[in-house]
Amino acid sequence: MSAEPLLRVEDLKTQFFTDAGTVRAVDGISFEVYEGEIVGLVGESGAGKSVASMSLLRLVESPGEIVGGEITYKGETIFGLEEGPDGELHEHENMLSNEEMRTRIRGNEIAVIFQDPMESLNPVFTVGSQLREFIELNRDLPNGEARQEAIDMLREVGIPDPEERYEEYPHQFSGGMRQRVLIAMALACEPSLIIADEPTTALDVTVEGQIIDLVDELQQKYDTSFIWVTHDMGVVAEICDRVNVMYLGEIVEQAPVDELFYDTKHPYTDALLDSMPRPDRTVEELDPITGVMPEAISPPSGCRFHPRCPDAREACKRIHPENREVARAEGHPHRAACIKHDVFGSDYEESAPLENGARGDQQLPASAVDSASGESERTDGGEHNE
Amino acid sequence: MGLLRYTAFRVIQAIPVLIGITVITFILANLAPGDPVRLMLQGQEVDQEVIERVERQYGLDRPLHERYVTYMANLVQGDLGHSIHRDRPVTELMIQRAGPTLLLVISAYAFALATAIPLGIIAATRRNEPTDHVSRIVALIGVSTPSFWIGIMLILIFAIQLGWLPSSGLVYPWRSPDHYGYSGYLELAFQTIRHLLLPMVALGTLQMATLMRVERTQMIESLQGEYVKLARAYGVPERTILRKHAFQVAQLPIITIVGLNLSTALGGAVLIEYVFNINGMGRLFLEAIQSLDYQLIMGITIVIGAMFVIGVIITDISYAYIDPRVTYGDRD
Repeated sequence: MSAEPLLRVEDLKTQFFTDAGTVRAVDGISFEVYEGEIVGLVGESGAGKSVASMSLLRLVESPGEIVGGEITYKGETIFGLEEGPDGELHEHENMLSNEEMRTRIRGNEIAVIFQDPMESLNPVFTVGSQLREFIELNRDLPNGEARQEAIDMLREVGIPDPEERYEEYPHQFSGGMRQRVLIAMALACEPSLIIADEPTTALDVTVEGQIIDLVDELQQKYDTSFIWVTHDMGVVAEICDRVNVMYLGEIVEQAPVDELFYDTKHPYTDALLDSMPRPDRTVEELDPITGVMPEAISPPSGCRFHPRCPDAREACKRIHPENREVARAEGHPHRAACIKHDVFGSDYEESAPLENGARGDQQLPASAVDSASGESERTDGGEHNE
Repeated sequence: MGLLRYTAFRVIQAIPVLIGITVITFILANLAPGDPVRLMLQGQEVDQEVIERVERQYGLDRPLHERYVTYMANLVQGDLGHSIHRDRPVTELMIQRAGPTLLLVISAYAFALATAIPLGIIAATRRNEPTDHVSRIVALIGVSTPSFWIGIMLILIFAIQLGWLPSSGLVYPWRSPDHYGYSGYLELAFQTIRHLLLPMVALGTLQMATLMRVERTQMIESLQGEYVKLARAYGVPERTILRKHAFQVAQLPIITIVGLNLSTALGGAVLIEYVFNINGMGRLFLEAIQSLDYQLIMGITIVIGAMFVIGVIITDISYAYIDPRVTYGDRD
């Protein structure tokens, strides 16, 4: 792998300031995307995947705001804070302006494919005119060539009769065809990075398979990097090179895809993999993760996964684990945020197992789960405080 | 189905509605208290024989359903009957008065649309800011204040106190300048606008307030659409998003409101014509009611009803034309 990543995200924090309190949707995540690779961002609904990906374009909608961290793309600062002489945090002086973000980054450097192909296209304009508009905005093509480029791109993503389909409206396209149009939009702008935000979630499985094959093929042809946001471990296995598993605004495990599947280090990733429906098991044999993910407005103390973790011990309630490198594979680190792997200075081995109902052998009422997360004290991240 | 066939289809669909309007109007007009012949005589003492002769002459002695059939037979031929009171054909009376009313209603709508759309957009983009709150209050006042009262207030302020604008009458742009003794078409146009300004605002305020709120709601919804997010993600300037991407989608309900509110506007015109002393169909309608001029009341009611139905049809057709998702009733 080349030394310098295409995109580097460091300690990114995005928060939503609501009436009910501050929602820490993305709470200090770090990851890299290298040229030509597909990086997965995996997690349950509400883990902060979409907010994280929109933060990369600086398109977080109010009342949300990026409050910390650094995003570097091709050596340019998309977001960065530094401490000024007055001790206050200021935007980095090299940080791209809103106008630069719009004209230089959005679309022509980093493009997106959204989740819902039904809603993402404007119902009152033809598919062709929408595609052409994005091409005209993001590429320097001579007059009139954008139309031809749009038609070629529709053909490229497998839309039959592109000349005729160019003049048609979104409602005349099926869900899968619309998703192909969105892919065409992204590729037509010739970006170096495409953020695919659950692009196959709204599609049925056969179409999902076609779309994944299409992206795989086009990705190799154009050598574009992808950030693939999904909750589906099956999709991850099929398409990603490296994976970041997110839980409640944090990355809990980060590894090349094979390493993640065959040498899982974090209990949450384990649980995610176990909860996948498989053809050799019936619904009764499904092994879902117990409970629901807590709100990001008041995350549990210590390790955020401890109320649902089958391996949780007393120490997990107190110690916020750091995302540490636990192994190396294919030249990339395998990081996991779990104190199980802290050989030194962790109380994990000595502390008693938590009775949170997450293990299969014990059945606790829901109230017991609540109290387990409620009574614990809040500690600072990663610090060993005894 | 093509646009033409769709139009024809909608017109045929409207026929039962129009027949319904005539039946209800006919029955209501005849159930109203008061005897038209006696009213015509204005309290003079005449022989019973004379009354019976007049009733026979106008067919008032025959049973209701027979009279209705006769009326419909004439209506189909474009004859709306004869006004007993004025001794003139109803059709002729109405054609004379239709111009001022149409001028008033169309300009009120023009005023309402020209102000409501920009104000609605501004309110939507400055959501929950002072501008938005002011527009909400203005809209609330506009919706809840009767148009005739607004008319009277406008006259008091701009005609009587300030003396800037005339308080009554209209100048018709279709007449020659010589008719009013004006120097030329420029003065005619100027005077037309001057006379039209107050009644136009009085009648258009309600429409403006309604449309402004609808425009705001639609723009807010449209601006939150995924397609707007996508446009932003591809670097489309915010101006273009507002004017093109969000705007186009938001205009569809506006067309519906305009079409459906046509009846409200025509109803409002009746009072506004009265307040501003305009010789339009609305005032003719009021006079007809006061004098129990059955034929005239029915004629005007039917024409207003027909105009409403036509308004709905035009709305549907323009919808089908503007929104690509609306088909002309066929399935593919």
